[in-house]
Amino acid sequence: MHMNDKYIIQVEDLHKWFGMLHVIKGISFSVQPREVLVVIGRSGSGKSTLLRCLNFLEEPSTGRISIAGNSVDTGPGVKVDHSTIITLRLSTGMVFQEFNLFPHMTVIQNVIEGLITVKRMNKDEAIPIGEKYLEKVGLREKRDVHPIRLSGGQKQRVAIARALAMEPKVMLFDEPTSALDPELIGEVLDVMKEIAYDGATMLVVTHEMGFAKDVSDRIIFIDQGLIVEDGPPEQIFGNPLDERTRLFLEPLRKVQHL
Amino acid sequence: MGLTCFNHIALEENMAVETMQSYGPAGPDPDRGMGEKLMALEKRARLIYTLEVGLVWVVLFVLLTLALMLLNFDPQYVVEHFNFVFQGLWVTIQLALISIAVASILALLGALGRLSTNPIAQGISGFYISLFRGTPLLIQIYLIYLGLPQIGRQLTILGYPQLGQMFTLSAFQSGILALSLNYGAYMTEIFRAGIQSISYGQREAAIAIGMTRLQTMRRVILPQAVRIIIPDIGNQFIAMQKDTAQVSVMGIWELTYRANRLARQESKFIEMFITAAILYWLLTIVSAWLESRIERRLAHAYER
Repeated sequence: MHMNDKYIIQVEDLHKWFGMLHVIKGISFSVQPREVLVVIGRSGSGKSTLLRCLNFLEEPSTGRISIAGNSVDTGPGVKVDHSTIITLRLSTGMVFQEFNLFPHMTVIQNVIEGLITVKRMNKDEAIPIGEKYLEKVGLREKRDVHPIRLSGGQKQRVAIARALAMEPKVMLFDEPTSALDPELIGEVLDVMKEIAYDGATMLVVTHEMGFAKDVSDRIIFIDQGLIVEDGPPEQIFGNPLDERTRLFLEPLRKVQHL
Repeated sequence: MGLTCFNHIALEENMAVETMQSYGPAGPDPDRGMGEKLMALEKRARLIYTLEVGLVWVVLFVLLTLALMLLNFDPQYVVEHFNFVFQGLWVTIQLALISIAVASILALLGALGRLSTNPIAQGISGFYISLFRGTPLLIQIYLIYLGLPQIGRQLTILGYPQLGQMFTLSAFQSGILALSLNYGAYMTEIFRAGIQSISYGQREAAIAIGMTRLQTMRRVILPQAVRIIIPDIGNQFIAMQKDTAQVSVMGIWELTYRANRLARQESKFIEMFITAAILYWLLTIVSAWLESRIERRLAHAYER
């Protein structure tokens, strides 16, 4: 194992093409355990694609990804073993912009679905775990309702509980508050803060600069498929090294009270 | 003026948000009486409309009956032979039920093949749909009932008598095979569309927690797709009930065959075929009612 054990995620020279569109143009970075890393950038900069490459929702075109000791090499003509991909997905939990709860299942069924289908637990084992994580996101009393009866914020909190219940090594958040009404964003960010303080390793793609500033250990700014700047929030918000970072953040300062 | 008006609305909206944020029990609405009055009026209008439509049905029914009377209709013949025709109903129901079940399985396999990236699965399902949608059901019935035994005889000559025998199917088996294959081909497209109508996010959420493609299909996609396609399956089921009439050509004693037999005996065509038609009609009405009940049951998770 030549990868550094100090890091829980290592990405080396990642590229992604969609047809002739070169979306990610060679990105490398590492994440330490318990680190909260926020990824910022304009829409279309490739930040969501980067996140989705980590658990192979998008197959990277070339490059190496290593998460929790499992590394995968990709490249033209390289067929990645499906069981390796499943391992990678089991070490990551993902929260989507559109929640993607299973509408035909109740809240508790949503949360324990992975435990039962993937981890092959029986119901008696899975339910207490599910309830524990519903408690964590403050929605235990909603365990038997269907998602249609929840608000957007509640849906996203259930989605977070569903990801946490699999007890992944890393949590990936793909714009978790972008589909929410403004008054519901706070409750989701609060849950995310709590998870961060509990010591989870988190990768968060977001436009919530307040969250980035207060909670993150490190921020990566991505522009046109490349990492432009990588540093602690004080540097990014206080004294950005790159002109492009400053230009991106400038108009946001007024709206988000930075 | 326009601007003042706008401000006024904005102000009201703000107030509405504030009221909603206090989660305490809402006070009684002073205008509740008006709401109740409007509801009562709407309900009355709906009832009158339903009664009117019902009346039109009754009038059409009476007209049809009168027309039959004028056409020298012999109700006595119907009463005497009703039981004989009615006995065919159970055969018709059996044919339709077994065939829709087998057709659904074929359609699911066909749809998975259509959506697969495997060239063999893709090829087989595409060929199957094209062949069975592109040829008449009646010819499929003849080929299965009369054509297959011909192949069986050839196999027997070649020295495989046991294999050869498998190619000779009873009329009932042939009917089920033909109906299943034919309707399976049509329903493949229904299943495919149903599966594709489930948002891609559902698939992503499932594979993100580590599910395989098969698990995703079985646990997440299909349960949602089935609910969407139940009305279409019901539609196909009703169509199939009437197409079972075509298997009467093989001499299966179902509704049409029995009606036809008695009709020819004494040239009482109108009497017997109307009897059979009414039985088919009643069967489809019951099926449509059952389908709507299943639909309502499956909608449970989607009601606020």
